[in-house]
This record gives sequence, C-alpha cells and structure tokens, in this order.
Amino acid sequence: MLGQLDFAPLDEAITIDALTLDPYPIYKRLRAEAPVLRVKSVGRTLLTKAADTKHVKDNPALFSSNDPKTPMQPAFRAHTLMRKDGPEHVSERMAMNASFMPKAIKEHWGPLYERLAEDYIGRLPRGETVDIFKALCGPIAARILAHILGIPEATDEEMQRWSQTLMDGAGNFGWRPEPFARTDVANDEMDRHFDAMVERHRAERGPSAFAIMLNAERPIPMSQIYSNIKIAIGGGINEPRDALATIIFGLLTETEQFEEVKRQGAWSAAFEEGVRWVAPIQASSRLVTEDTEIRGYRIPKGDTVMTIQASANHDEELFEHPERYDVFRAKNPHQAFGSGPHHCAGAHIARRTVGQIILPLLFERFPNMTLPDPDVVQWRGFGFRGPINLPVRLA
Amino acid sequence: MTKIVYVATDGSRTEVEARDGDSVMRTALANDVEGIVGECGGSMMCATCHVIVDEAWAEKVGPRSDGEEDLLDGAATEPRPTSRLSCQITVRPELDGLVVHLPEAQM
Ligand code: FES
Repeated sequence: MLGQLDFAPLDEAITIDALTLDPYPIYKRLRAEAPVLRVKSVGRTLLTKAADTKHVKDNPALFSSNDPKTPMQPAFRAHTLMRKDGPEHVSERMAMNASFMPKAIKEHWGPLYERLAEDYIGRLPRGETVDIFKALCGPIAARILAHILGIPEATDEEMQRWSQTLMDGAGNFGWRPEPFARTDVANDEMDRHFDAMVERHRAERGPSAFAIMLNAERPIPMSQIYSNIKIAIGGGINEPRDALATIIFGLLTETEQFEEVKRQGAWSAAFEEGVRWVAPIQASSRLVTEDTEIRGYRIPKGDTVMTIQASANHDEELFEHPERYDVFRAKNPHQAFGSGPHHCAGAHIARRTVGQIILPLLFERFPNMTLPDPDVVQWRGFGFRGPINLPVRLA
Repeated sequence: MTKIVYVATDGSRTEVEARDGDSVMRTALANDVEGIVGECGGSMMCATCHVIVDEAWAEKVGPRSDGEEDLLDGAATEPRPTSRLSCQITVRPELDGLVVHLPEAQM
C-alpha cells in the first residue's frame, strides 16, 4: 500500500542560514503549505505540525533515537543515552533521575539555589546597562548545573566552555577534525575533574547525580556515569540560559503583561510561555525504522525525520496569535520539553530554578528593569535558539 | 464506555466516559481534565500524571508497575500508599466508576 504513496515534496530553496537567522516565518509557511517536507540543505524530512512531532516522539519503536553513527559519538567519546532506546536508555537515565526530580529540588537543592541566585543577582550593578545574557543567564545556569551534577568545583567558565565544545562537536555533521580536537581536550579535562571527585562522592553519598549513580545498589558502568554527566553538561546549560534570556526579553517588551506578572507573581506561567514562544531546543532527529506514512506521504525506512518543536509550539491549531509572547493564554500545551522516552530530564529543574527562583528574585531586585533598545537584540539558532545578547537597564 | 471520576483538591468532581484501552492519563487529557499534565506522553519519564487512587478502588486497579515506584518517589506531591502514575493505568470495563484524586501539584 505504501508503494502507492508519494514521497514528501523536496525543497531546494530553504537554507540553513535562513533557518538560523529567522525560522519562524518559514515554519509558518510550511505548516500551511508543506507540513511534511524534505529539505535538501538540512538533509532531513521536516515535520512542522504539533500532531506530527508528538506522534514521532511518542513512537520510539518506529522513530528511533538509536543512532551510534552521529558526530555525538566522537564528540562524547561514547554512545550516549541520548542516542539509545529501550531498556538500555531507561536504565542509564533512571540511574541519575532521582537528583532531577521535584522532591530532590525541594529537599536538597532549593535553599542552595536560592542562595546562588541571590549571590549572582546581587552582584549585578544597579542603575547600569548590562548584557544580562552574559552577566547572568549563562553563569547562573552553569553554577546550578555544576552543583546538581556533583562537580561544584568546576568553574562557570569551564562548565560553559565544556558545554559549548560538546555541542559544537555533536553538531559537527561536516565531520571536520577541529571540533573533535577541541572535544578531545574538553573530554580529557572533564575526565580528570570527574576522577578527582569519585572518592569524595563515595564517602559523602550526597544527592548529586554523580553521587547517586556511583552509590547505587547496582551502579551502571563508570564509563556510562561519565558520559551521562557529559550529556548533562552538553545539554543542561544553554537551554536554561536561553530560556531565561527569552523570558526576560518577552516580559520587557510586553510591559502590560510584565506589570500583571509582577502583580500576580505569575512567574511559572511566564516561564512556560517563554519556552513555548522560542523553544531553546527547536528541532530533534529520529531515524525511521520501518516504512510508514505521515499525512499521506511515504516515509521510508532509513529516512531521518526532524521534529520541529519550535513550529509545533506555534501551531495555529493549538495556539492563538502564536507569534506573540502571551503569558496569560488560556492553554499552553507546548512541546518545548519534548515527549516520549526522551522527554527532557531537566524539565523539573528548569521549571523550579528559572521559573520559581531566578525570575522572582531578579525582578524583586530590579522591578523596573527595561530594555532600552529591543532592536539590538540578536536571535540565533536552528537546532538551539535564543538571544545572543540582551542589554538591559537594571533599575 | 467506562466511567472515570477525577476529584480535584478542592473536592470538585469531573466524570468522563473513557475508551477502554486508553490510559487514565490520556483520558484526562482528551477530556480537558485539569491537574494532569502527562508531559512525556506515557513513557514513565516525567511523573506529571500522578493520581491517588481512591481507597475503594486500589485493589481493582492493582499495584504499581516496574519503575513507577522510583518516579513517584520523586514526584512534586509526596506519594500516598495508593498513588499511581495514571499513564500506567489502562481503562477496562471492570474499572467502570473508578475514582482517582488529583495531587496538589504535578510540577
Ligand atoms: S505521562 Fe509521564 S510519567 Fe506518566
């Protein structure tokens, strides 16, 4: 039966540059005209409707993450859980999951994170214009992650550099040698750093991901413990960083909402709307394991589909005026954290740290913060997206 | 069709007709029952579909499945003895009239 279906149309005009600069008008057109589209420059079949991205994420047997032959392998020097399926993935993920759950955040991390947030926000100079993306968003995301992972002695600079290096390596689909040379250096640094922590975690048995994995009744192999921590470093800094910057931008450009959010303390809603509006992780890939069809098009085994959650979060079938940051929309069934077995492991931490700790503290200290010139803010990214600068006036 | 009753923390009850074979989580989402998020789509990864099964139904619903325990343990609302992840409860005729209570928070 599949044999009678057509392949999805092929686009040769959309460039990665265009997607990196401003993908939203392109996705709007694709949702209306070509929701299943093979895009030559990307080399994948792009899915831009919410129902389709969810269908793919919720059917891991048909749309697999298992792909050992991506640049992630050399970048992490491991076949990581991000690229596994089934029981192997579950056991590696569950090995560290407890430290990322609401209970651990309430019992262990909350008070520490409040202190850290007070500290980092307290250092910002009142009355000046600063690039808050650099001054706060990146460093605090790095600090929070260092603690939860159990490597608190890694500096903000190291954490951010390791993270960026790993991401550059994992995205090195051109297989150029330099990014892998850099990930080799970073891997050596991380391995040395982790080696030095092992004894301490065995003795202290704390609540960090590292300690929980090491001290489990039946621990996963040490190599997987290390690659799990690396995955969390690679995937745990730029998302909260970009989410925070996006939300600050949204609030400072929608001043009426900003007032109302402050009045109601609606920080969690401001958070959810920020990650819907510009999802920090915009796209993910899945390998097709059997011939199938989506919206009447033939999707052959071996194809790679790309779910565009950035576009799912703007799907007109689910959201009114999706292009607008609107904290008070009635419903917000966004897919910023994905769905299915690879649902973001950091979702609870992000919601609590960014949504319930950092945002309220930041605007308690600077309730009259402004964005003097929204037009200077630059947004970048196709796979991952957010502002890359955010000069605000702190008042 | 099987009737499922969701009781919110304020005591308000929502009765819905569920399709056998669906999960109690999916049934809630399909009927706009507030208080269940089910963000991972039933993959036992998010713990945002926590429900407390009414004592009277606990036995019929049955015990937690493998792995459910760990997730519930870390959930936003402290689990009770009859707590379950609603994505792991499949609607079936003998659950007609099932009552589940919603926790204070899922996230
Ligand atoms: S829906 Fe995520 S654990 Fe049930």
